[in-house]
Order: sequence, then C-alpha cells, then structure tokens
Amino acid sequence: MPIDMIVNGEAKQSAADPMTPLVDVLRDEFHLTGAKPVCREGFCGACTVLVDGEPRAACLTPAGLAQGREIGTVEGLSAGGRLNPVQASLVEHDAVQCGMCFPGMVVTLTHFLAQTPRPSRDQVRAALTGNACRCTGYERIVAAALDVAGA
Amino acid sequence: MSITTPVDAVMEFRRRDAGDKLTGRTRYTIDRGAPGMLHAAVLRAEVASGRLVKLDTSKAAALPGVRAIATAADAPGRVGIGIADHALFAQDRVRYVGEPLAAVAADTLEQAQAALEAIEVEIAPLPAVLTMQDALAPNAPLIHPEWQDYEVLLEGGARAGNVAWEATAVRGDVDAAFARPDVRIVESTFRVGRQNHMAFEPRAAVARYEEGRFHIETSTQVPWTVRNATAGFLGVPASQVRVTVPPVGGAFGLKFDIAIEPFAALLAKLSGRSVRLVNSREEEMLTCLFRENAEIRIRSAVTPEGEIAGREAVVLMDCGAYGGEQIFLTTMTAHTLGGNYRVGASRLVSRAIYTNTAPNGAFRACNGVYNTFALERHTDEIAAALGMDPLEFRRRNVLGDGDLGATGQKFEAEVLRPMLERMEALRAAAPPRRPDDGRLYGRATTVGTWFVFTGPSAATVNMNADASATLVTSGVEIGSGSMMQGLPQIVAATLGIRPEDVVVRQADTDAAGYDVGVGGGRQTVSLGAASLQAAQEVRGKLLAVAARMLDASPGDLVMQDGRIEIAGPNGAGFSIAEVAARAQALNGPVAGTGASARKGVPSLPGCAVGHFIDALDIPVFAVHDCEVAVDPETGHVEVLAYRVVQDVGRALNRSAIGGQIQGGVVQGLGYALHEEVSIDADGRIRQNGFETYRVPLASDVVPVEVELYEGAPSLGPFGIKGAGEVPILNVGASVACAVANATGARVQELPLTPPRVLALLLGRQPELAFPHILPAWDDNLLRPHGAQP
Amino acid sequence: MTASPSFYAASSLPAALDALAECGAEGAPLAGGTWIMRAPIRHEPLKPIYVGLGGVPELTRIEETDGALAIGAGVTHSALGEAIAGRPELRVLAEAAGRSANPAIRRAATLGGNLCTADFAAADLVPALLCLDAEVEIAARGGTERLPLAAFLDLRQSLEPGRLLTRVLVPRSAAFSAHARLPLRKAGDYPTAIVSLSITRDAAGRIAQARIAVGSVETVARRWTRLEAALAGAPLDAEAAHHMATELADEFVGRDGVEAPGWYRVSVLPVLVRRAVIALH
Repeated sequence: MPIDMIVNGEAKQSAADPMTPLVDVLRDEFHLTGAKPVCREGFCGACTVLVDGEPRAACLTPAGLAQGREIGTVEGLSAGGRLNPVQASLVEHDAVQCGMCFPGMVVTLTHFLAQTPRPSRDQVRAALTGNACRCTGYERIVAAALDVAGA
Repeated sequence: MSITTPVDAVMEFRRRDAGDKLTGRTRYTIDRGAPGMLHAAVLRAEVASGRLVKLDTSKAAALPGVRAIATAADAPGRVGIGIADHALFAQDRVRYVGEPLAAVAADTLEQAQAALEAIEVEIAPLPAVLTMQDALAPNAPLIHPEWQDYEVLLEGGARAGNVAWEATAVRGDVDAAFARPDVRIVESTFRVGRQNHMAFEPRAAVARYEEGRFHIETSTQVPWTVRNATAGFLGVPASQVRVTVPPVGGAFGLKFDIAIEPFAALLAKLSGRSVRLVNSREEEMLTCLFRENAEIRIRSAVTPEGEIAGREAVVLMDCGAYGGEQIFLTTMTAHTLGGNYRVGASRLVSRAIYTNTAPNGAFRACNGVYNTFALERHTDEIAAALGMDPLEFRRRNVLGDGDLGATGQKFEAEVLRPMLERMEALRAAAPPRRPDDGRLYGRATTVGTWFVFTGPSAATVNMNADASATLVTSGVEIGSGSMMQGLPQIVAATLGIRPEDVVVRQADTDAAGYDVGVGGGRQTVSLGAASLQAAQEVRGKLLAVAARMLDASPGDLVMQDGRIEIAGPNGAGFSIAEVAARAQALNGPVAGTGASARKGVPSLPGCAVGHFIDALDIPVFAVHDCEVAVDPETGHVEVLAYRVVQDVGRALNRSAIGGQIQGGVVQGLGYALHEEVSIDADGRIRQNGFETYRVPLASDVVPVEVELYEGAPSLGPFGIKGAGEVPILNVGASVACAVANATGARVQELPLTPPRVLALLLGRQPELAFPHILPAWDDNLLRPHGAQP
Repeated sequence: MTASPSFYAASSLPAALDALAECGAEGAPLAGGTWIMRAPIRHEPLKPIYVGLGGVPELTRIEETDGALAIGAGVTHSALGEAIAGRPELRVLAEAAGRSANPAIRRAATLGGNLCTADFAAADLVPALLCLDAEVEIAARGGTERLPLAAFLDLRQSLEPGRLLTRVLVPRSAAFSAHARLPLRKAGDYPTAIVSLSITRDAAGRIAQARIAVGSVETVARRWTRLEAALAGAPLDAEAAHHMATELADEFVGRDGVEAPGWYRVSVLPVLVRRAVIALH
C-alpha cells in the first residue's frame, strides 16, 4: 500500500515498504539527499527532519509512521535558495567544514530557536546533544545559534 | 615590480561551498547515482585468522538481481607502502575479522546482501595473534608466513616475521650519555588505543567501465593513490583508471589510502553497469584504517640541571593485518619523539607489527599524537624526578636555533621558546579556573613538533577571457577549506582578481597532474606552491601582453583589483579581461602550469635507517595549555579551558585556521577522553557505531583560545605552513599531563575514560609492563642500526 | 530471504488489540520505533508484522484517576517530561524522561517502549517508575489487568502475544524525588548507572520512607531494598546516605559492557545516591 505524506509542502507518495527508514524514502525515492544516513541509530542527528513540525531522527522513523504526516527536510528550509537566519548565521561564522552534519544541525537549530528564542549557551549545547559534528568542534555552531537568537 | 614578487594573499575569504552544504544541495559521493546503477556489497570474513578452504559463489550468482560477483581470482595484484603485502581479497588466508572475501553487485542492495548470505564459505581456523605482545612472542604464529616473498617497494627497513617494518634513528653515543656519572635515568612506558576517524561520510564509490577504462567517483583524499592502487590490485595499466572526487564528507586521514574503490571498479567491468558501493557504519567501524594502537618505552639520561644528555625509545605500532600506512609512519617517530627538545645523543626505534586485526592507517597528525603524549608525560616525569617545574624544564630544553633533531637535521630559528613565552602570557592573563566542588584541578602546558608532508603536486591555471581563472589540480575538498579558501586566494592574489572569480575544478586524474593527496598539512603548501607557480606564469604572460598594449615595460605594471596599469597615480591601463582577451586573440588562450616537490632538507648521513623521509622540510610547532577538573568519585575529566599557540608560518586565512584549530583540538579531546576501541577475544572490534564509540558532543567541549604564531621560517609559498593537521597533535599530551597533575596518578594510557581514571585513582590500574620490549635497546632491533641486511 | 515486514496502523485500542491477537507471535507492536528500527544494527531479524500504535489516541493520554496518575504507554519521553514538570513527587520521572538519549529520540521514544524493551538495561524510565511504586496495565482482547512494574519486568519477555502495555499508573504521594544518572559524556549516552530516589519525610524531617531503584548496573533495574531499610528513620543527609550506600553496594554485580566494566557501575552507586539526595533539596 502506498504511503502518502506531505514533503516540504508537496503531496508525495512512497512505494516503499512501511518499515523502510524514512531517510531512505526521502533520499532514494524523492531524491532529497540533504538528510544524511550517517549512524542509522539515532545518535548523530545528520538525518534529522521535521515530522509534523518536530525534529526527528529519520533513520529511526519507519516510513509507515509518516503516513499522512508533514515532513520537512533541510531542502524545505531555504525556499528559492534563500538561506534562513540559522543558515545565514552559520555562513557568517565560517562554521562549515565537511558539511555532512549541517543539514541535521540546521533542522534542529531552526526548530529549537523558534521554540526558545532567547536561549542560554548551555541550552544551545543541550539542544545539540543529538547532533554530532566531527569537524568543527561545535563552538562556531553554538556561537552562530546564539547570534541568531540575539538578532 | 617583478612578475615573481610575492603578492599578499592574506584574506578572510569565506568558503563558497557553505551555502550548498547548509541547504542540503551538496552532492557527496554517497548522494550520487546513475540510472540503472547496481548496488554492491562485500562479503567479509568473520574470523581473525584462518585458511580459506572453500568459497563457492555459484548459488549466489543464480539469485534474482545478481549481476556480478568478484573474487580473488579477479584481482591478482598486491599493493602496499614500502612492501606490497596486501591483496584486494583474502587469497588463501584470512588475516582479520572483516577481510573481504568476495563482492557482489545486484539490482538492489537487499539482493546484493542476500547474495552474500548465499556464498558458501569455509575457513579452517588458525591461531590468531591479536596483540603486539603475542605477535612478538618467541615462536609466535606468522601472520604472513610468506613475508620474504613480497615485493619490497623501498629498500632499507628491517623486516622479519611479524615485524612488518623497523626504522631506526641514531645520533651520538647514547651508551656514553647513559654512563655519565652526573645523570639519572628516567624511564616511562605508555600505551594508547586506536582512534576511529568517524568521518560522517563513509567510504563510498560509484564506478563505471567505459571505453575500456575505469571511471571511479569516490570519497577519497588521494585520487592518484586510488588510481594507481586500483590498477595494481586489478593488474591493469594505471592509465586505464580515472578517478574523480566530489566533495568529501570528512576524512581526517581515513581516506588517505585505497579503500573500497577496486571492488566497485571490478564489478562495473564484470557487469557492464554503473556500480555503487557504500560502507555501512558497521563496516566503517570494523575496517576503519584506525589511528594505530601503540606501545612506547622512553628512557632519558638527565643531569641535575635538566640537560637531556641521552635518550632512547622503543615504539611499537600495530599495523594490523597489513603494513599499510604504518610502514611509512615508523619514519615519524624520529621527528615526533626527537623534535621537541634538545637532546645530547639519541637512539629511537619504531617497529610496525603485524597482528590479526583490521589494518590501521593514517589519522590527523598520525604517530605524532601518541608520541607527543608519551614524550610530554615522560618530560613531566623527568621534571618531577629532578624536582623542577615542568614549564621551567621545557623553557630550558625546547629545540632552538641550530639544534639537531634525531636524524641530525639542523633546526632553524628560535620558535618553540618564544611560543612558550606567548603561552605563559596567555596563562597569566586568565586566573586558573579551580573548581570549588570537590573536584581535583590540574593544568599542563605541552609542546609538540609536527611537519608538512610536502611532495609532488601539480597545478594548471587557465586564464579566461572574462578575467576569471580556472584552477585545475588533483586537490580534494575534504572540509578543511584549502580548495575553497587557500588556493583560490593564492591564485586570485597573484592575478589581481577576486578569489570569487577563481573556479576550482574538482579533482580528476584525467585533467590534472600527479598529486600525493590531501593530508599531512600539505594541501595549501604543496598545491599552493604549484598553483602559485602556475598563476605566476599566467601573470607573466598577461603582463607581457599588457606591456605591449601600453607600450611599457612589464616591470612598470601593477596587476590588481582586476586591472593592469602602469604604476603610479592615474596610470593608464586595461582591465584584466581586456588583456586576457587580447592575449587569447594574439597567442591563444593563456595558461600556466606549476609543479612542486619535496625540497629535501639535509640530515646527518647514517642517522636514519629505514626512513621514508630523513628530515622535515617544513617543521611545525605547537604549544598547548589545558586546565582540567577530575571527579575523584566517578573518574570524569572535564576540560575547563584550552589554549593553543600554533606556528603557522604565515596565516593566509585566520578564520579558516581558527576553525581547524577548534575542530582539531576537539578531535584530540575525543582521543584523550572518550574515544575507546577494544578488540574482543575473537579479534572483532567491539565498538560498532556512534552508540558505543563516543565522539565529543557539543556539551563536552570548550572554546579554544587561539594565538597564531607567525614569522617562523617556512619553505612554503608566502611562508605558510599547513595548519589543519597540527591542532590535534598535543591534545592527548596536554590532557594526560593535566590529569596527572590533578590526581598525582601516573597516567600511562589514553583515552582517559571515566572507568580508566577511576581505576587509576582507586589503584585498580596496574603499572604497565611490556615484556615484549626488551631492557637493552639494541636487543629490540632485528639488525643493528646501520648493519647491512 | 524473508519478505519485508508489513505494517498495520491501528486507529484505536480495540483495533490494535485485535490486530495483535490475530498476528500472534508473528506480530509486535511498534510505537516510536527507536529500538525496533535499530534491529539491523543488532543483526536481529524484524518481525513479519508490526502493529503501529501511533494513531491510537487512548495511548497518548495522561490523566489523573483514582489516586494515581495514569500515563498512556504511547506518551513520548518529551511529552511526559513536559506534562509532569514542576511536581516534586514526580521529579524523578521528569528528569528521567527529559534527559535520556537526545532531544530527537525523546520526541519519538515512548514510555511503553522504554518499559517493554527487555534488552535495554540502561532505560531511564524503569528505575524512575520503580521508585514511584508504579503499576502497569496490560490489555488484551479479553480485558485488562494491573500488576506492579517489578512483576512486569520479570515476565515481560514471556508475555503472551496479543497483550499490550497500555498504561502506567503512578500512585499519588507526598514524596520528593530525584534521578541521578551517570553518562560517560556530559549527555547523549546511555547512563552507566542510575539511582532513582523517592522519599517521604516525617514531621521531624527525617526520612519516613525511602524508595530507591538502581538502573543500568545490572541487566534489569531493581529496587535497592537494603538501602531503603537502612535509610528509613534516618536524617536526610547526603553524606550519611553515601556512607550507607558504600556499605551496601556490594550486593550488586555490575554488568560488563562495551562502554564500562561492571565494577565501575557498582563503584559509582554511592556517589549517585549522594547526588540524588542532594538533588532533593
């Protein structure tokens, strides 16, 4: 049975088996390769997407659970190629290196800053508990998030 | 102004790939595919040591969707560094858990995996040698019984049995130094575990076979190594392999060697289709070319005043089942143990040891991080034995102008001492962050010596008639920003255009000349030198044309801000686009080529044996300072503050360097505190992913206070040095020395996980003993230093 | 090669129970999926059929009933943490729900999943609910039954197919509670050891009753009854509690794991007891 979902505002239908990880449906069927399958166990956060507006690990979300839901990926956060404030701040802070963690970072931080517009440094760090980065040592990411909040 | 006058390439140029990376548009190798592409999977051995009795693929080949199966018969060649000991598939012998036995391509990944299950395998177990101690035991089983038959690619290293390679560096009369009546002998032993790179993008490749040639798109740091080694494995001319490299999602040395590319290439040829092969995270953990585990003994003869009269060391490096990078890295001990301090006489041996474990490889400041840990802890033990302040001991003894390294290389200029002074000023500027919650406070300042791994690079600059330039190299963007910032800055500055107008072509071995690869801090230095030379040739050609256009001498022209003008106020001139268009019309399109190679700084004859590099072309120094709090009840170590003074020669892009330092230090904190690898009784790596292998997270790190030290001599273009590799160098050392300072415990191992620290504090941790490192230094050698094989 | 698992999204509790009964041993419930979806990493086969519980409204309710707080098994960690924030008697549970794993996982992983995953020794909610004397409600087509959480932990692996953990009942009390967990990093790990504590005080401020549960140290969390007995009647003093815990910790046999050896898990119990007592204040 096909699985219906709204992806970045568009109705989509997946033919995948319902226990297929959502990240694979997004990447292989819908060609949205922003979300990265890095750990496939919910520890790294590189595949974070929004499910009904809430960040989730797409590797641990069975496609069947996406039925009828709204899915938002990093591609949907920069409509028309315009960077959102989090993305723009990360550019400004020269935070990006290899870049593989950033799609998940951006989804997590965009949601977090909408919920917590004036976070403390420790709150930002705690919000990133599930988003690992191997290149940057985090500080510029944290600083970029705090800058968005301060703007 | 001469056409070769150095121009200022120092900029804060922002990397152009950030936008795509932040919006999910960047297509890494794992994001690539082609219509009709097949998916591949690799059958891997489940035992550490055994004889391959049966490998029957007939049932698997008959399964639905299976298009090709490759086995050892398809890949007859052996490759390696120093010795060609490594075949693509286990041939008749299995040497580690995870060793490839066969590879399958099928219409879907599930079908490929199902086919793996259907391959009938029988392996008769053989005794496995899982530790270096076992490998060096008398009568230990040989991991490569046929070691004498392997082709030797570099003469000089001693080899025998399970010792894959042995390199020695001897300078001066160490026996005499140790026999001096005024010295005392300090002896220290250390052990470190493996470190996984945890590059977010696993090793991945997409291969095609077209027009009689292989085309491999891959996530690598070394396109030319992949080209040549793939050809070596498959037994085809290297010219039949083309390698292109999309943006790489993290590497850190993991991708400094051939990996899974030949499987994809073989399967593409056998099936006639495009083939995609991507390692699972578990495969990455199982077969990662880890930073090797090592065991180290250092002894020093020191005078009461703190002079180091003599020093000797034995360093054992576990290369796993095949020699790989460790063969080369035996060279580095002479520089990482022999580079920080002025030493009267020294003798160092480093030995790469075969074990029945997954092969190890290169990892950021490879060999350096653990030797620096060992040397700096040893230094603190010396200072304690002498009753001297460790900082004072370092002040007196760090390498200075004219001092000799372990191979007799003469170091130029005072660098480490003024760097130490800078660090002392940083220390003095902030009060110690002693916790008031019962935790133990400790602090340490350490020094480290690293280098830039120079070597061949090539570059071509094509000047376009619109005043943009295209830089063609085999350089790869692995995240460090060299291709995005450093190189376009160099070309732009030389040509008087904006770095935005320098197009940087992705690596393609069909388009650009040979390159050693990205690593060893060499990209901006070696590719930078080649790019500079290429750009200077273009500059010269444009100036010559402009001179004719302006009826002036080229020496009277300035080339900047997109224009070539006669020097002086209101000088006449043309836009570079006008000059380039004219040049193109007159002589054809303007291009320049550049090449760089190792300079070959001298060492003392006879000091280094079995070395791949006898001296460091470009030494790099680092001083780190770390404050920690240790919870005596749980063993948790918290890093409270971290400071770095780093020798960068000259900073081309301070922001980019700062990002490398923060990231490198944090990777080092992982190595020092969290990242543990253990191998079970069956020889399998126990950590299988991000749950069990713990990299630092945002809450675990501190902002690193950074000071760039400029002005030390460098053979690099504009006086630059590699800045991305060295930041990890003394992190393990600094944390270990700080924890020892906090607890009074004899820290001999990394990582300092909470259980290990608590064991130290509770006295549960026995002192390290290495029965396989013999008391007399010479007895550890296969043959006396300098003796003929 | 086995066929891909099928998935049935139940829209009501009766429908879910029917589906589970019909699937028998072939089926299993799937709530957040955070454990089941990692089966490939553990090299475990998936069940042929999963009954999705995400659309069952009964399971996501939190309600006050006859002297207890009834929490639907489908309530996620994050929803639970938010719902009970600020209640001192439930602080242990709020901390357990609010600090486990990481934010994205807490939004998916459910209370029921945490309690039903027998192989997950480091589950945070289990010791938290043990120290709260929680009961669980098990439903099947034939009806529901209640049993103490500890009893459920003993039989959860042998539960007949068709039965579903639907609610957890936490009795109302005037206790104060705290949750002390020890990950190896600051956060984002499974804790190597957990001490969950719930205490009532007498008029003199002494400990009237202490309920203490220890998680992650052994394969299944359990109450530390000897320490509870030792603390009853004693002043509420962190150092004294630490001392008593040190005396009694040898009753635990720590499990060796990739992340920590067994001795370590036991060694840190006293300090976790102290931290939990301090956190009560």
